[in-house]
Amino acid sequence: MLGLLGTLNLASRSLQTQMTGVEVTGQNLANVNTTGYTRQSVEIQTSPDISTAIGPEGTGANVVAIQQVVNALLNTQIQSQQSTSGYWSAQQTALQSAQTSLGEFLNGTGSATSSTSGDNTTDTGLSGQLSGLFSAFQAVATSPTSISARQALVSQAQTLASMFNQVNSQFDAARTSLNTSLGNDVDSANQLLSGIAGLNKQISTADFSGATPNDLLDEREQDLENLSNLTNITTSTGTNGAVDVSIGGQTLVSGNQVLDTLQTYDAGGGQLLVQTATGGVNLTLTGGSMQGTIDVRDGELATMQSSINTLASTLITQVNTIQGGGYSLTGTTGANFFNGSDAATITVNAALADNPSLIQASGSATATGDNSVALQLADLASTAQAGLNNQAFGDSYDETVAGLGDSLQTANNQVTNQTAVSNMLSTQRSSVSGVNVDEEMTNLMSFQRAYEASAQLVTTLNTMLGDVLAMKTS
Amino acid sequence: MRIGTNSYTDTMIDQFNLLKSQQTKLQNEVSTGLSISAPSDDPAAMQNTLSDLSSQAAQTQYSSNISTVQSKADTIYSVLQSLQTIANRVGEIATSAGSATNSQPDLNNYASEVTSLIQQAAQLVNSKDPATGQYLFGGTNSGQQPFTVTTDANGNVTGVTYSGNSSVNQTEIASGVTVSVDVPGGNTSGSGAQGLVTDSRTGADLFNHLISLQNDLLSGDTSAISGTDTTNLQNDENNLTYQVAYNGNVQTRLATASSLATSQSDSLTSLITNASGADLATVLTQLTQAQTAYQAALQSSATIMQLSILNYLP
Repeated sequence: MLGLLGTLNLASRSLQTQMTGVEVTGQNLANVNTTGYTRQSVEIQTSPDISTAIGPEGTGANVVAIQQVVNALLNTQIQSQQSTSGYWSAQQTALQSAQTSLGEFLNGTGSATSSTSGDNTTDTGLSGQLSGLFSAFQAVATSPTSISARQALVSQAQTLASMFNQVNSQFDAARTSLNTSLGNDVDSANQLLSGIAGLNKQISTADFSGATPNDLLDEREQDLENLSNLTNITTSTGTNGAVDVSIGGQTLVSGNQVLDTLQTYDAGGGQLLVQTATGGVNLTLTGGSMQGTIDVRDGELATMQSSINTLASTLITQVNTIQGGGYSLTGTTGANFFNGSDAATITVNAALADNPSLIQASGSATATGDNSVALQLADLASTAQAGLNNQAFGDSYDETVAGLGDSLQTANNQVTNQTAVSNMLSTQRSSVSGVNVDEEMTNLMSFQRAYEASAQLVTTLNTMLGDVLAMKTS
Repeated sequence: MRIGTNSYTDTMIDQFNLLKSQQTKLQNEVSTGLSISAPSDDPAAMQNTLSDLSSQAAQTQYSSNISTVQSKADTIYSVLQSLQTIANRVGEIATSAGSATNSQPDLNNYASEVTSLIQQAAQLVNSKDPATGQYLFGGTNSGQQPFTVTTDANGNVTGVTYSGNSSVNQTEIASGVTVSVDVPGGNTSGSGAQGLVTDSRTGADLFNHLISLQNDLLSGDTSAISGTDTTNLQNDENNLTYQVAYNGNVQTRLATASSLATSQSDSLTSLITNASGADLATVLTQLTQAQTAYQAALQSSATIMQLSILNYLP
């Protein structure tokens, strides 16, 4: 028998229980817009019963736990998806800026009068300038003694050379900025590692005292996902709730200790890679924005830059060889048309640029009107070059452009796919762990009604106790 | 399925972004008339377009080459006509002077006409190309006056020397196809382009033959005039006829090449349009669709977002 006072006690605990329900609902509602928040639920259990002659008698209900509603498998999937997503996003960003550096875009003006238009298509990059150079050689071949044709050739060649210089320096800049972004990623990763270790410490302390540190767990999960975005990590959870983190096979966080941090090192030629700071172990990363950055820098961008350099150096050699054997309008010979050796250094020989009549277009020292050398230069447009995989200059460059386009298209598609996967996983997680306002409001009403009912019980018991006391006085 | 309140707004924002980016892309296609603008839009089409644009630039250059040499060929043709007129007149003189009935004063008159015709012819073969200011008939040594006339004290021509060469320039009029409109003043090498006034293969040597006619007229040697001189001058006339025919052939080739370059450029334009041009009808329809979808998404979202249990709680 609980008796009047026992039941009053039950009612009071019931009030507390429902109040906790209201509190948790309030916490969920307050965090409806908090990133990474996992909704919580109160676990209410019946209190231990009392054995009586007529059978066990209930003693009401208690809150035994406030729990996170979480699916650990989904969290692991999201972590690994973050790595893939980070990897491709880094590639996408870098390749987009490479595409901009290359400047190979089509321009057009829409024509309202025709249903299709293409006759006014122009391109803005090296491809147009290269064919412009060969056209200028043709023009000189057609009018070998014309100073204006020679002047046009000089300015076309200067435009081409400065575009080579510009593209090359943009690629250099892209490389530098990728190295910087790798350094920033490493700094962020180190902060996250120390954050995770700190959270591990708090979580295991709370765990030891028997409490469930829900909000700390959310915070740590956020950190782990952010770290996954930077690089692929392996985690294992210890008995005290602490998570150990390894990157590239090296355990960096163990319990509340940061065993080692990351740093970049120069693997030669400004090619920054990642190693552990104290142990000095060079890491092979497998995903995340760090590896994405490294792969795109040493892969596609390096290939692009070297193709453009090969193109420039082959052009310099070929044009100089042919032009060097010709004779100028004043009979001079042997001068280079281009100076420099690659895309970074190519310039038009200043002597020729200042005095276009010195361009050696004639094949004969005594015949200034001869055009055979200019004709050979113009023929370079369609001559297959051994140094360019037996392709002509224009074709080789167009293929380079298409190669970059392919890589960026792949990265774009991957990012789109990863976004879809990420959205799906988020929706799944949200369907388990996300706060739904309608649901919380319904819960709120049910706790409120239960609270009202318990309060009514207290009132009733109060009346009953009054009745008991009245029995004595009356 | 349970839906988190936030996941709904997140999804909505993603959809808005997607629909917005579709509209931006389509709008861009409408305004540029191009379905691709960057290599990543369609790498293969971009590669084809760039290559077609280069070919088109080359065709444009061929057209420009053709029109440059066409005007040169026209100039050469007018010189050839004048030379033919001179050659005809000289032929008449040789025929008339060749008969024994002419008196020496008559022959002297003929001789002075021939002398002035030689001077005229020399002036013609020293013509310059008005476009470039270069001599037309000096071979590739076009910067230097090709023919020099020397006269004696009486004003009679004693010699005309040629200081040009026998080479000619080729001009590319289509990929790998070259043509030469140039005619060297003289060619005694036995190979290459046929010389205008002197050619060892045809026996043409206009100036020397004119000079010997002039001298024979002065000396009254009518048998030489009606014999050797007439035969030689016939060779010269034949040579000029050949040059006129050659010029005509070249002009025909140039006209054909010019229309070919234009039609190739046109077909390249249609290739470029196929590869990278936007079909405005399709794009505009797609744009309307995207706009409708965007409006629908906005409207339905606005309606749904207002629905909440909160509206119905007391």
